[in-house]
Amino acid sequence: TTNTDYPWILNHDHSKQKEIADWLTMEIKDFVAYISPNRQEIEIRNRTISRIRAAVKELWPDADLHVFGSYATDLYLPGSDIDCVVNSASGDKENRNSLYSLASFLKQRKLASQVEVIAKARVPIIKFVEPHSQIHIDVSFERTNGLEAAKLIREWLQETPGLRELVLIVKQFLHSRRLNNVHTGGLGGFSIICLVYSFLHLHPRLVTGEIDPRDNLGVLLIDLFELYGKNFGYDDVGITVQDGHPAYIPKREWRDLQPGRNPFTLAIQDPGDPTNNISRGSFNLRDIKKSFAGAFDLLTDRCFELDMATFKDRVGRSILGNVIKYRGKPR
Amino acid sequence: QCPQKWKRVFCTLCNSKKHSRDRCPSIWRVYLLKDDAGDKALPMHRLYCYNCGRKGHFGDDCMERRSSRVPNEDGSAFSGDNLSGELK
Repeated sequence: TTNTDYPWILNHDHSKQKEIADWLTMEIKDFVAYISPNRQEIEIRNRTISRIRAAVKELWPDADLHVFGSYATDLYLPGSDIDCVVNSASGDKENRNSLYSLASFLKQRKLASQVEVIAKARVPIIKFVEPHSQIHIDVSFERTNGLEAAKLIREWLQETPGLRELVLIVKQFLHSRRLNNVHTGGLGGFSIICLVYSFLHLHPRLVTGEIDPRDNLGVLLIDLFELYGKNFGYDDVGITVQDGHPAYIPKREWRDLQPGRNPFTLAIQDPGDPTNNISRGSFNLRDIKKSFAGAFDLLTDRCFELDMATFKDRVGRSILGNVIKYRGKPR
Repeated sequence: QCPQKWKRVFCTLCNSKKHSRDRCPSIWRVYLLKDDAGDKALPMHRLYCYNCGRKGHFGDDCMERRSSRVPNEDGSAFSGDNLSGELK
């Protein structure tokens, strides 16, 4: 493994660290800095959204366009799409006619190519690619829950140091194994955030306030994979984050949880609607759990290997590289 | 697990018989403490169990049968032992 495979370690050698956990902490910070968008990328995204917002207002003066999802919380990986929602004063924009008229209006204005109108889904959307920036955009209509979730997540990020870094690593990890798509039974972005948020508030060292998570990201990442890959009682335990208090709840005591045929499911109570399980779509929990356990094994094996290695053999190595398998365009 | 019963593993770092010294979790499970870590208290009402979902103890210390089918021989981060000396 040469360091060209792991571009975030270029000019960031931590092989002289005494503690392997500190090396991993530093590498996590390097990776997060590497995949975070630069000023130019942020400006392109903002300009793109502004242009589409202006078009929506031109077509429907009583409507407005808002962003939600990972773009609105600053938790997106390079090349991910932007989620938007059109809300209007009259609240009448979620029908076939409106979807098609917005789609053709954007096409006319050369603001959309490769347009797909998905009118029959539970949540009807328009998908398209904005031609100037080549960014993929999804637009849904007349909903507020995504905006409320984004606002809540921004509050969590404010009050929970380490949340952003660990979420981005877990996201990249699941993405590399194709386990981050709800349509194929993987984990959605909000579920990932809830898992990490709950972990960070229930970890013994953090409950007592003995450590600052930002100084301990390496060991915390391994602890997280250990919890959700090996020990968590998915059959019996649900996760709740009501009024900012992450807690576990025996599944039997969660009244509104629809017992399915399979008890081995992830149950995360929706902070905005206690009757809803936000991870009910993640039917591939077997593989998700296995992949977390695999990440724990890979990371700990690598730690033992590098801990024993000579300084000469440690230079230019990566601890994370094999685990997160980042294969993007060089940035 | 091990066909060679007469080859016992033993860890000289933590006295465990479950792993050898070069695979001891204490190699990576190292926390950098805050300066004021010594005067922290353990809020019992904020402990939750990953195994049964109830309050007041950590998952590793749960008395119920284990929910996960993956063994946890060496103990995890979620154990009363994973705290600074005073708080144990």
